[in-house]
Amino acid sequence: MFHNSSQGKYWIFLNEDDVEQKRYKANQKSRNKILESGKPGVSESKLLERHEEDVLFRHYEKRMVDYCNAFKPAMPKSVVGTAIMYFKRFYLNNSIMDFLPPIIMLSCAYLSCKVDEFNVSSTQFVGNLLQETPAGQERVLEQILEYELLLIQQLKFHLVVHNPYRPMEGLLIDLKTRYPTLENPESLRKNADDFLTQAAMTDAGLLFPPSQIALTAILNSASRAGLSMESYLIECLRLKEDKDALSKMYDSMRRMKTLLKKYELPKAEEVIACKKKLERIHAEFSSLSNKRKRGYEEDGHVAKEPRLTEEEWTDEDLL
Amino acid sequence: MDDQGCPRCKTTKYRNPSLKLMVNVCGHTLCENCVEMLFVRGSGNCVQCDTPLRKSNFRVQLFEDPTVDKEVEIRKKVLKIYNKRDFDFPSLREYNDYLELLEEIVYNLTNNIDVENTKLQMEQYQRENRDLIQKNKVKLTREQEELEELLLLEQQGNEQRRLELLQDEQRQLQAKRKNKQALLDELEQSQLPATILLAQHKVRAAKLETQIEQQKQAVKPTSLFSTGINMRQTVTLQLPPKIEEVLFQYKALQVETYGPPVPELEQLGRLGYLNHVRAAMPQDTAGGYSSALACHRAIQDAFSGLFPLKR
Repeated sequence: MFHNSSQGKYWIFLNEDDVEQKRYKANQKSRNKILESGKPGVSESKLLERHEEDVLFRHYEKRMVDYCNAFKPAMPKSVVGTAIMYFKRFYLNNSIMDFLPPIIMLSCAYLSCKVDEFNVSSTQFVGNLLQETPAGQERVLEQILEYELLLIQQLKFHLVVHNPYRPMEGLLIDLKTRYPTLENPESLRKNADDFLTQAAMTDAGLLFPPSQIALTAILNSASRAGLSMESYLIECLRLKEDKDALSKMYDSMRRMKTLLKKYELPKAEEVIACKKKLERIHAEFSSLSNKRKRGYEEDGHVAKEPRLTEEEWTDEDLL
Repeated sequence: MDDQGCPRCKTTKYRNPSLKLMVNVCGHTLCENCVEMLFVRGSGNCVQCDTPLRKSNFRVQLFEDPTVDKEVEIRKKVLKIYNKRDFDFPSLREYNDYLELLEEIVYNLTNNIDVENTKLQMEQYQRENRDLIQKNKVKLTREQEELEELLLLEQQGNEQRRLELLQDEQRQLQAKRKNKQALLDELEQSQLPATILLAQHKVRAAKLETQIEQQKQAVKPTSLFSTGINMRQTVTLQLPPKIEEVLFQYKALQVETYGPPVPELEQLGRLGYLNHVRAAMPQDTAGGYSSALACHRAIQDAFSGLFPLKR
């Protein structure tokens, strides 16, 4: 359950600034590393700024969600949610300059299928990359497998992710059973679903417990339909005993809604500009990423021959 | 067992595996026959080392290596003199030192190192601690007696059991024989057809079997407690020390869910939750699934973490 999960203990942060701070630190670390490496032609302006990283991050997140939605067989929502969460957590502590998003995004999706017990074979998984030839798909698969262990390590081996979809179902059941004032809770379902899908793209998963996100979704959908559910909160959830808790709850909900409103997809020109920058960085300072890829080699007792040569990464290869 | 031959007659050991080897104080072995022959006058010299020996000092060899036997003998003699116990010493360290001293003496005597000095040491110790030795001897004998009592009792118990078993078997055999004889007699004399007689015989045989079984299980009024002590025996054993332990107190598990309380699994149906969950199909219930399980899980997830965390 969430209350004693690793998610609750280690991956829920106090506020948006906390999260931003972590990302900033990761970015700084990567920049310093590249600057200190002393390669010719290094200059501050060539490295990615924080907001540029953000642009790319959101872009690739969207691409991952599109990939998962186009997946055959149909991927359950929880698998997509888990994959997005892994992506977010990974780039909380690492910078985009060190690890290229396209492969990480596929690794996240692959890992999430395994963890959530959505059984697809690896060939089936890369078979969904429609732009690639079978040989190309093989190569992608090898790269996914190379990054997988590193990904798990950066997630601190906390692989179970609690998504808000089941809590939403539970709340609907509870509404139907204990709150007859609301006539047709099913009508709230669609809007709540949309809310949850949007919330998954924001940082809400890193800031609030999934049950709170689900509750916000339902309340939001109810208010859109013009229904008031305050009595539900007070009676059934017994929040009236603790006045403080009720106000805090409203506060969280407001913050969540702000997050959703703030979210917007990056513009195409921005994306292209940032991508170019990233590619240039990667090409010039690629030796760094070569070493970091094989995470398990850092132990020193596993020596692996480089199986693949570094390829020029362009996005169009994949999707 | 016959890796050693008698050093004198050599062949006899292999030919006669029941022949015993005897060891003396010098550590060399001789088979029984050779002992008889050589020490017919009571004393003589050892065949291998020429030390003067007496016939009475020969003991049956218990260990494969005669030097071990020699050491065992020496140790027994030393321990008769050095018979202090662990509670005679004020600290563990001193007890260990004493033991080490003992081992040195035994080692010296066994390997013929410094025999003179060691013997002098022993005599000196004996003179100094005469009373202590005497006291300890008495204590030791008492313990020996207790042990021997126990052994005796055990042996007696075993013997009794064996005898009873034999008697039971005898009785059974007799009963069976009588039964067979009775059948033959009846077949001879009675007027009834053979099949009926056979049937009667079978019934009787079955009854006999059950009787015997019952007899075996009959509880005899015993004269023994379950621990093996006779009912009228005065107990000379020490009671084992009683260890007082703190009793275990059960405390129910407390889990903080940061949310409203979740109804119990069994209550869900009564409270009406199950009406809003997809009912379980026969295929599902076959595996043990019930809709209450899914419902409970969903409600738990919905309520867990709902209240703001107290940081």
